[in-house]
Amino acid sequence: MSILYVLIPLALLLLGGAVWAFFWAVSSGQFDDLDTPAVRIIMDDDQKPGDGNET
Amino acid sequence: MMVGADTCFHCALPIPANCNLTTTIDGEQRPVCCPGCKAVAELIRDAGMSQYYAQREAPEPGVGRPPAEATEWQVFDSTEMLSAFTESTGGDTEATLYVGGVYCSACSWLIESTLMRLPGVAAAELNPVTHRLRVRWQPAENSFSDVLGTLASIGYEPQPLTGDSEARPEMLEQRTALKRLLVASLGMMQVMMFAVGLYAGDFQGIDAQMQRFLRVVSLVVTTPVVLYAARPFFASAWRGLRARKPGMDLPVSIAVGTAFVASVYATITNGPAVWFDSVTMFVFFLTLGRFLEMRARHRSIDRTAALSSLLPNTATRISADGSTIVPVSQLVAGDRVVIRAGDAIPADGVVVKGASSVDEALLTGEAAPQQKSTGDPVAAGSINLDRLLEMQVTRTGSDTTLGTISRLSERARYARPAFVTLADRVASYLVVALLLVATVVAFIWYLVAPERAFEVTLSVLVVTCPCALALATPAAFAAAGSRLSQLHLLVTNGNAIESLARATSFMFDKTGTLTRGVPKITALVVLDNSYTEYDCRLVAAALETASSHPLAQAFKLDDTLPAVDEQHVEVGQGVSGTIDGRCWRLGSAAFVGAGTSGNDSSTTQVFLSVDNHAVAWFEVEDALRPDAAATLESLQARGLRLALLSGDNEAAVAKVAAALGIEEFHAACSPQQKLAIIEAAQSNGERIVMVGDGINDAPVLAGADTSIAPAHGATLAQTSADVIMLGDSLAPLTTAVAMSAQTMRIVRQNLTWAIVYNTLALPLAALGFVPPWAAAIGMSASSLIVVLNALRLSRFE
Repeated sequence: MSILYVLIPLALLLLGGAVWAFFWAVSSGQFDDLDTPAVRIIMDDDQKPGDGNET
Repeated sequence: MMVGADTCFHCALPIPANCNLTTTIDGEQRPVCCPGCKAVAELIRDAGMSQYYAQREAPEPGVGRPPAEATEWQVFDSTEMLSAFTESTGGDTEATLYVGGVYCSACSWLIESTLMRLPGVAAAELNPVTHRLRVRWQPAENSFSDVLGTLASIGYEPQPLTGDSEARPEMLEQRTALKRLLVASLGMMQVMMFAVGLYAGDFQGIDAQMQRFLRVVSLVVTTPVVLYAARPFFASAWRGLRARKPGMDLPVSIAVGTAFVASVYATITNGPAVWFDSVTMFVFFLTLGRFLEMRARHRSIDRTAALSSLLPNTATRISADGSTIVPVSQLVAGDRVVIRAGDAIPADGVVVKGASSVDEALLTGEAAPQQKSTGDPVAAGSINLDRLLEMQVTRTGSDTTLGTISRLSERARYARPAFVTLADRVASYLVVALLLVATVVAFIWYLVAPERAFEVTLSVLVVTCPCALALATPAAFAAAGSRLSQLHLLVTNGNAIESLARATSFMFDKTGTLTRGVPKITALVVLDNSYTEYDCRLVAAALETASSHPLAQAFKLDDTLPAVDEQHVEVGQGVSGTIDGRCWRLGSAAFVGAGTSGNDSSTTQVFLSVDNHAVAWFEVEDALRPDAAATLESLQARGLRLALLSGDNEAAVAKVAAALGIEEFHAACSPQQKLAIIEAAQSNGERIVMVGDGINDAPVLAGADTSIAPAHGATLAQTSADVIMLGDSLAPLTTAVAMSAQTMRIVRQNLTWAIVYNTLALPLAALGFVPPWAAAIGMSASSLIVVLNALRLSRFE
């Protein structure tokens, strides 16, 4: 069980990293729009230019 | 539309028949539609960035096409422009630009890398969601106009923004709330994991050292949750204490604070139990509830915020010595401004030259573009669609229709409905009562079983937190308000939803409310042969310039009008004035002092007299709004009594009433009479909704229980109506009634739930049947149920 004394602090370090990354993402505005990403998936945007299909 | 053989390789617009321009990109001949696109495409190719074409998504036609008229960016190098649009940070200059036409990440890449190649540019960051570009450069190496010009040369016309446009307060609030939510949720998950170990240890036995370790780790993770994520609760509890109005955050803070301190003490002294799991769980669920409530609140602001961001930041002002580009903040009433096709209109004004169609969808909800020509009003924030317009500014900044709408919705946001204030007051008594109960429980348990006293008291504090009770009403009202604004009904008074739900009768004004409010003169009968029809039109037009009554529009003439002295408006009756020393009157038969014409026409008649001698009468007709009949029918179907109150003549009102199936109507009413009718109905216990013009019916609207007024640009600012209809359609009225009823139903459900929960949970907790963690779940779940129930309103059809 003594491995826990290593693993738990390690997990806490990772946790700190995750929180830091999230804070950075929020501050850089990536979470400012919480509504559009949810509907973006249903919008047609996978057509590549020049493939000749008229839509 | 795809980029095929017959569309421009660069901007995807169809290629004109007589155009044979091509350019070579990646070794292939590509057709382009104009020299501008050719230049841009070659510029991109020569800069070695032609992979943009391979990476981009299907372009929207016309995007990226350079404007036909080049803007003179040099004007932005003046000190005054620089101080308006840029900031100095260190030795660098920084500006935020709005870049239209960004539709995929390839665009961001193209823009950022093009700018980074300019000498002296230190940073360029584009947010494709908000279309905002932050660019920083060294003023010694580059000028502002170079940066702007470079962007324009690759087909993205930039619009400089004044410093703080991105940092909207609600956006910052959301960012902080998200961070707190994340800290609380991650902290809760971690602590929960350690708690499983500790609980298992209680049953199966655990190494004392390991137990201590797990407690210390829990303490480490819980500390930021309490100090950072739960900070708003402590702050609000402190504010409440200082104002001597203990809010629901006080018991929350006491519970979180004492449980945390007691757990820390137990960790240090190796005490019997820690409550870190309960603390983090409690904070997480509370934060989640607040976050959802905040989102409901913000959604109603989003629309108006989106509106304000539509305003351009610069305008092209023309004066005797040519045109200059100025920041919009420098425009004043009377300035003449040119608006190019595709640009947003910077201020309210009147078209003085040109004709074009204008998109006002965001202001009025009207999807079809409106034709505008000389003399027509245009509103700030709407988009000029096809041709060059020249306008004279009448109102700027916060005085514009757009500004007024933002201000009104602001007012609604801060006005607390009486209902909510009541709930708050009740909650604050409740808080004091709960604290007393908790003290009594603590005392009794201390006498009976001192070792459990702390735990049981903690449970009582947590489980009885009146959060659900305090959230029940505001959450429902916020959700309802935001849904109504999507339906183009702007609620400016917090009490409107409640009073609308209790309404028993609807009273309508006719002109401009049930009808379109764009009347036309359909007949003109001259009674005195010494005047021509044209004379009568001129005099009437001159008199009506003073009136804001909807009928006045019918008399509008573009010709030179005679000067009027002592112009006077008798609300609901008519206008009078002196022209060349003779007293003219225009209005109802009684007002002008003329005998009636004897013609019992069913249209509105307006009489013109000079020195009490009838000269002519006009027949004015105003078409019904297309959905008036259907809306009134569905209101009637809901069991509401309908009535029509109008200042018009009996026949005209009867005709409208018959067409709409309204049985009760009152014709030829002055505003005072209308008010008397409303007050009589109110004394019979009826609750009246008055739908009428915000200006002419202001006293009537004020007398009704709920007032609804259509938004007419010019008069919007003075309206005091509880609800403003932004669109041209009456149909949202039915939805509003149905929705307010649903809102009150949800409020009742929420309150019932909160009260039932608290009365059941309190005795259980006081008797020691509820451990702190269960109390945290119970209380939080109850708040979440209330908020989620309220959020159902934002999907109301």
